[in-house]
Amino acid sequence: KQHLVNTGQTGEVKRASVEEVHQRLLWLKRKREEESTEQVIDLEARLEVSKE
Amino acid sequence: KHWDEEDNIDEAEFVDDADAATPESAAAELAAWKLRELRRVKRERAAIEEAEAERAEVERRRNLSAAERE
Amino acid sequence: TALLDDRGYSGLLIRGQNPALLFEKAVRDRITESYYWKEQCFGLNAATLCDRAAELTAIGGTYGGVGKPTPFLCLAFKLLQLVPQREVILEYLNFHGEDGGEDGDADAAGNGESGAVQNPQALGKRGEFKYLRALAAFYIRLAWEPVDIYTTLEPLLADFRKLRRRTREGFALTYVDQFVDDLLTKDRICATSLWKLPSRANLEDLEMLEPRVSPLGDEVEELDREDEMEEESDG
Repeated sequence: KQHLVNTGQTGEVKRASVEEVHQRLLWLKRKREEESTEQVIDLEARLEVSKE
Repeated sequence: KHWDEEDNIDEAEFVDDADAATPESAAAELAAWKLRELRRVKRERAAIEEAEAERAEVERRRNLSAAERE
Repeated sequence: TALLDDRGYSGLLIRGQNPALLFEKAVRDRITESYYWKEQCFGLNAATLCDRAAELTAIGGTYGGVGKPTPFLCLAFKLLQLVPQREVILEYLNFHGEDGGEDGDADAAGNGESGAVQNPQALGKRGEFKYLRALAAFYIRLAWEPVDIYTTLEPLLADFRKLRRRTREGFALTYVDQFVDDLLTKDRICATSLWKLPSRANLEDLEMLEPRVSPLGDEVEELDREDEMEEESDG
């Protein structure tokens, strides 16, 4: 059993449906977009600070 | 940021994979792609021509040996 | 499910074979010994694997003196373990995030659909996560049947987005179209010997495939002339 765990096998992982995969990708896309917006805001904020 | 810190990737050799951000750079990337695609088309054509030539050669030899038999 | 032990493997087969055997033994061992495999691939299913694939920063096989497997290779191995259903693989390959209006929108944006050149700037482009797209393409080449391989992968020859490729010594630049072309024409890629794919011409002769139409269309002739002229002036 431990050997199976070591090799990444559990046999207990739930198989995912196409819909679950699609939803996961939508979520990842939103997350990525939010992160890049945050980066822009962060950069702008820092530029503001350096101007002062 | 990288999953494996021990790798210590040198930023300079970590080639840039960012895609075109402006229409100008997109045009350059499109032009480069066209060249790659053209090479593929030419390669495919050459392969077809080669196969046809081979077939013609086989045919020619077959006719030759038939003529010799007569 | 004893994937790594050939005896007693009872999972899904690919061309009558345990899919894990599509990778060479030395490579399999390096993967299963790797930190990334043990820590990041454990317990993934087809949906949670997307989390890892979205973080990918390169394609590639093994690298460094000891031949360390790339995360890309580890995830490909995971896919061989999961053997996801066909639709899941197609979702990896062609995902686009425009909810609703599934039909038509992407075509109107002039991208993604077979035949059209994929502009990286286009909105609602297909295969938005490009490394996930490359991963799915690699899997398809390993696991699917010849006709499906050609008809599914060839549209990606119009995707000219950049891909970073990890090599033994460092990194190199390639493109989605270039990688797909390599998958269709080379016999070894990403530390993996690809099984012999019947040639396109062969399948055309058997009337299993229609001749491929390049998205360049009529431009081929024009470019051809320019290309030849350049070659003449160079020589």
